[in-house]
Amino acid sequence: MKDFEALKNIWHDQVALPKVSHEDVLKKVRKTKQGLAAKLLREMLGMVAATIGLIYVWINNPFKLWTTHLAMIIFIACCLYYIFVLIRDYRKISDNTLLLNKPEEYINYLKKYKHDRYIFNTRKYRIYSLFFSLGFVLYFIEVSFLASLWVTILGITFTVAWLLFSYFILMRNYIRKEEAKLEDMIENLERLHKQFENTDQEE
Amino acid sequence: MNKEVLFKEIFQANSKKIYHLCYGYTGDDESANDLMQETFMKVWQNLDKFRNQALISTWIYRIAVNTCLSYLRVEKRQAKDELTDTIIETKSEEVSEKNEQIDQLYKCISHLEENERIIITMVLDEVPYPEIAEISGISDGNLRVKIHRIKQKLTELYNQHERF
Repeated sequence: MKDFEALKNIWHDQVALPKVSHEDVLKKVRKTKQGLAAKLLREMLGMVAATIGLIYVWINNPFKLWTTHLAMIIFIACCLYYIFVLIRDYRKISDNTLLLNKPEEYINYLKKYKHDRYIFNTRKYRIYSLFFSLGFVLYFIEVSFLASLWVTILGITFTVAWLLFSYFILMRNYIRKEEAKLEDMIENLERLHKQFENTDQEE
Repeated sequence: MNKEVLFKEIFQANSKKIYHLCYGYTGDDESANDLMQETFMKVWQNLDKFRNQALISTWIYRIAVNTCLSYLRVEKRQAKDELTDTIIETKSEEVSEKNEQIDQLYKCISHLEENERIIITMVLDEVPYPEIAEISGISDGNLRVKIHRIKQKLTELYNQHERF
């Protein structure tokens, strides 16, 4: 039988040492910073290229109907919104000051952050795809005047089928998975939150 | 003082205790090293805010605790405990009696609740009670009661395991 003092002696006898040095930490800091910036830059460049492409198509094609102009505005707005979200998320990730909060507050922040991400990944994404669909519908109005009937029907059928498939199959599966993940995380965080709560009952 | 020199000093003075905290929390050496590295990366990024702080260790511990808490949110507790048992059992075959006792102690700590693991590793590393209260955000009165209970729980767990 050992008492707590004996356990303390065992603890102080341990020779287990961290395998990480301060140089390793600094190396990782530099690597992570470059990695994050590079990934962000790649995504940003992709979206900027898409936006420029859309503007180019808009300028170089004398669209006749106002519906097509509206469609182009919707597409470009969607791309700009995505770029805005990328920048906002990057700034959020870079903010480390929250780690200095008390654990109870930090757990609350994690809960809120996870919930917000869930809202973005589901509801806002839904609105995003809705606007994209609207853009396509508006675009096809002009196409129907220019192309043959069969090409128009084929184009509309393919676009509608793809949008329905994305919305009802891909999105639903994705939302279900995200929801399960969020519930699991929230449950975990609630448990941790209770552990750090200051209750007078314990005194 | 040069930022890198200051960081080196801070690292040398605190890394061992932070490693113990992370090891106690995760129950395995590899994750403990990862979490410790992550903690000190955050310390480096916040170093300018720490300058002229009297109790820098309190802030480092706070970052370590929050890093541990956010780490576990994606871990499956059951899976982790099983894995920990396997790792410790496999390793124990070859280590000396002293190391076996330490492994056993870490194994018992991994069976405590998350906040209990955090608090007890700080108690074992002789962090003063007011500092533990400040780090964990738990009031002084509550903390003393908690510590008393955790000590009892850990001692019971250890003695139970030692009998087998």
